[in-house]
Amino acid sequence: MNGFFAQVIPPSPFNAPNGSAELWTRLVIALLLGVAAVVALMKAPVSVRKPVVAVSTFCAGLYWVVFFLWPRPVNRLPGDMPSGLVDGVGFWLEDANPIVGNLSNVLSAFLLGLGIYSLLRIHGMRVIKGHKDAFFSAVLLLGILAMGVFGYWDWLDKMSPTGPSLALEANWAFQNRVRDFLFDGLLQEMDAGMFSLIAFYILSAAYRAFRIRSIEATLLLATAFIVMLSFMGLVTGLLDGVIDGIKGTADPGFLDNFKLTEIAKWLRATVETPSLRGIDFGIGIGALAMGLRLWLSLEKTAVSS
Amino acid sequence: METPVTPPAMGFAEKLMSVKRHTLYLLLIVATSVPTFFSITLPNKPDQPSIDFFTTVMALPEGSTILIETDWTKSTRGDSMGQMQALLRILMRHNIKFAIYSTADPAAPQVARDTIGRVSEERRAKGERPYVRWEDWVDLGYFPNSEATNNAIATNIRKAFAGKTEVPGVGQPATDVFRSPVLSHIQKVGDMPLLLVVTASKTFDIIVERLYGKVPLAAMVTGVMGPESTVYYASGQMVGLCVGLKGALDIERMMESGVNNPPDKPVVVNKKNPEVVPGFPGDDNEGNGKAYYPTLHLALTLMILAVIIGNIGMVLTRKGAKS
Repeated sequence: MNGFFAQVIPPSPFNAPNGSAELWTRLVIALLLGVAAVVALMKAPVSVRKPVVAVSTFCAGLYWVVFFLWPRPVNRLPGDMPSGLVDGVGFWLEDANPIVGNLSNVLSAFLLGLGIYSLLRIHGMRVIKGHKDAFFSAVLLLGILAMGVFGYWDWLDKMSPTGPSLALEANWAFQNRVRDFLFDGLLQEMDAGMFSLIAFYILSAAYRAFRIRSIEATLLLATAFIVMLSFMGLVTGLLDGVIDGIKGTADPGFLDNFKLTEIAKWLRATVETPSLRGIDFGIGIGALAMGLRLWLSLEKTAVSS
Repeated sequence: METPVTPPAMGFAEKLMSVKRHTLYLLLIVATSVPTFFSITLPNKPDQPSIDFFTTVMALPEGSTILIETDWTKSTRGDSMGQMQALLRILMRHNIKFAIYSTADPAAPQVARDTIGRVSEERRAKGERPYVRWEDWVDLGYFPNSEATNNAIATNIRKAFAGKTEVPGVGQPATDVFRSPVLSHIQKVGDMPLLLVVTASKTFDIIVERLYGKVPLAAMVTGVMGPESTVYYASGQMVGLCVGLKGALDIERMMESGVNNPPDKPVVVNKKNPEVVPGFPGDDNEGNGKAYYPTLHLALTLMILAVIIGNIGMVLTRKGAKS
């Protein structure tokens, strides 16, 4: 069964040597077939589409459920053979896991492609129709194009036999410098700039909203202050130093419990961590319920509309 | 003609409650800019999770290979870049090989490669051996599905990264990474002494879910992700945890002073383990942790003051209304 997948050695009908024309041809054919299948599914009436999607979803999910529940081979060594049906299925599930994992990665990568397609469609239409914000759309499209071209060019350079010499900046060519400027000089710096704006909103929101209007709010504020102060070495050094001065050389002393760092540690270990653990359990149960609904196609909105 | 009604002048309490947004923004800009012009060294006592992280990394056998999941970009460079720099400095000084992969952000591998390049350049500039791709580290790339990838790593690391190639040297073709000195001896993930995740997102959750028990795990997370990741440190599922900017500074300080070192008068005490871990005194140990820590101090101070001022204003207004 695993022989049907591309990653298996020796080559199966679904793989070919890395970088070969044969591989590229097969990739293009597979892509076209995939697109045709998706288009056919989109055009099909709901009565046809629904069972196809439901069966596909169930089969895809079934592997992971069985993989999780089926007994796994213990201390398996290369060349080991299964001894019976249970062992055989366990071996198969384990062997198939990285292949199914790769398949999941490919599918997830298509989601990135879908995002790019969506951006191109929306902003392309804006440029064509002369929307009032067409300039910004054009900048975005140009950015995507430039990053794609120079990023790929740079990658090809680095994967070529002369690639290792590019570890030294002195050996960089035009395309490597442009890639560095676009990625490190622009994209990543703007990314950092955008994220740093949050600090302004947090400060403004904290000033306006963090008011001690109730006992709960007062408790929350006191806790937040202790935790924030515990991140400040200057403050913890001073306050803990006062406790050390009072208690003298007794080590460890009862008064140690009143050090800011100890109080913050207690808050984290006794209040925060159990609370988050409880939330995590809740999220886990919710995810399990939603997962079951999706797997069994009980979540109808996904396929019916 | 009706005379315009002038609003009554704001009292002191009301003024405290209605500081303009732009004033707050200006104060924040001024406060966080101060450390740009002055070098400020602040005291810091490393936390136990950071101490555990440091001692774990320092105990890695020389020449061994670890796996690093790097899931951050420059949006969190304040926390993550300092952490990664400190980590790379330790690994390179101990000749520990590493393989990197990413599952959270397509930009993450390039950011990691750039950071590795910069730390390696630091070494070259000091006359030390730079870290060479293929010989000392390899890049396994970006995998968009974190669950499936980490599951595959747990099951069969060789198949999980099958087909990944690197160029061994000038004039040589791209070659399977499992033929590199970094990964040639790795048959399963358990052959590595540590899997480390440097992340700005929840990918450490997936790492714990899929890989706990297969290989020791440690994490470097942003301050925001700290509380959530502490759950896994507290449960013992992570052997070490470095949280946020303070975590980066903790590591930098321990790189300078060591842990339980000197034994008679240690600067940093490990309450869990009395073993002496020497650092790298006198070496270039300071990085973004030390550079950004005063900024964090000033920003937090401003926030605390702003909240206090707002609350004083509220209390005074209420008292005024009652009287």
